[in-house]
Amino acid sequence: MMAWLEATALATWTRESPSIWAYPTILTLHTVGLGIVVGANAVIDFRLLGFAPRISVPSLSPLFRLILWAFVLNAATGLLLFMSEATTKSKQPIFYIKLTFIALALWNTDLVRRGMLKDGPIGAPLNSSRYRRLAIVSLVLWSAAITAGRLMAYL
Amino acid sequence: MNAHRWTLSVGLVLASAVLMKTAPALAHHSSAPFYDATKKVEVQGSVTRFLFKNPHSFLYFTGPDEKGQNVEWQIELGPAASLTRTGWTPQTLTAGMIIKASGQPSRAEGSHGMCCAKITRADGSPIVAGGRVTEEQQPPK
Repeated sequence: MMAWLEATALATWTRESPSIWAYPTILTLHTVGLGIVVGANAVIDFRLLGFAPRISVPSLSPLFRLILWAFVLNAATGLLLFMSEATTKSKQPIFYIKLTFIALALWNTDLVRRGMLKDGPIGAPLNSSRYRRLAIVSLVLWSAAITAGRLMAYL
Repeated sequence: MNAHRWTLSVGLVLASAVLMKTAPALAHHSSAPFYDATKKVEVQGSVTRFLFKNPHSFLYFTGPDEKGQNVEWQIELGPAASLTRTGWTPQTLTAGMIIKASGQPSRAEGSHGMCCAKITRADGSPIVAGGRVTEEQQPPK
């Protein structure tokens, strides 16, 4: 299955093309997407922790759409990168650790999003310790996902 | 207050510059965890396989180990996308070609890996004459 995936034309192109538009561009887009996903999350998290109090929390909700589209970009570029080395990447425990952190971080982000939709217009509950906890968990989980991703080059 | 910030910023930039100077083998990530930059090996041998790929290419060749016994050596090279810019192609190194490689040995016990190698023909001439990078030192700096 992994060998088949790695042998597909798309995976072969990613892995073997000397073009700057192949691997280097895919990897760059993956990094830019990461910057947007984690960056927008960090803006929300720090606001929930009390930074920039003049910005209203509900006014940040459009960021979730940005996070979603940047995540789609990263899922797509990530799939290409995985396919190009499927046989080796699928054997790396750190890869599954990374995916687990991403899944948990996304779940956490969705808890914040749904909470903001529900409580946002009223405003008051957003200062609760529950949101501060979610914000800290978010920062920790996304940082862990980035660390695990970076470690794929070493472990 | 601003003066302090400027001092800090300039200091950080200078520190990074020094770091880059002292870590010449930095490609998209450090090779230090895998290869020992304080040691150098030089081996001559016959190419068996050349994997021209991203994010790292690999060259395999048969050559003597430290005891003089023929083993398969593996050289980690830059990505296909960078090798291309030095004038290399998947056909640049073909099986049977005699090459001379000097580089940093792998830290892994019992392995015969090399990185950041200078690769030349047996007579010391460059693999690709007039390539974009004059010295065929890979991965490209």
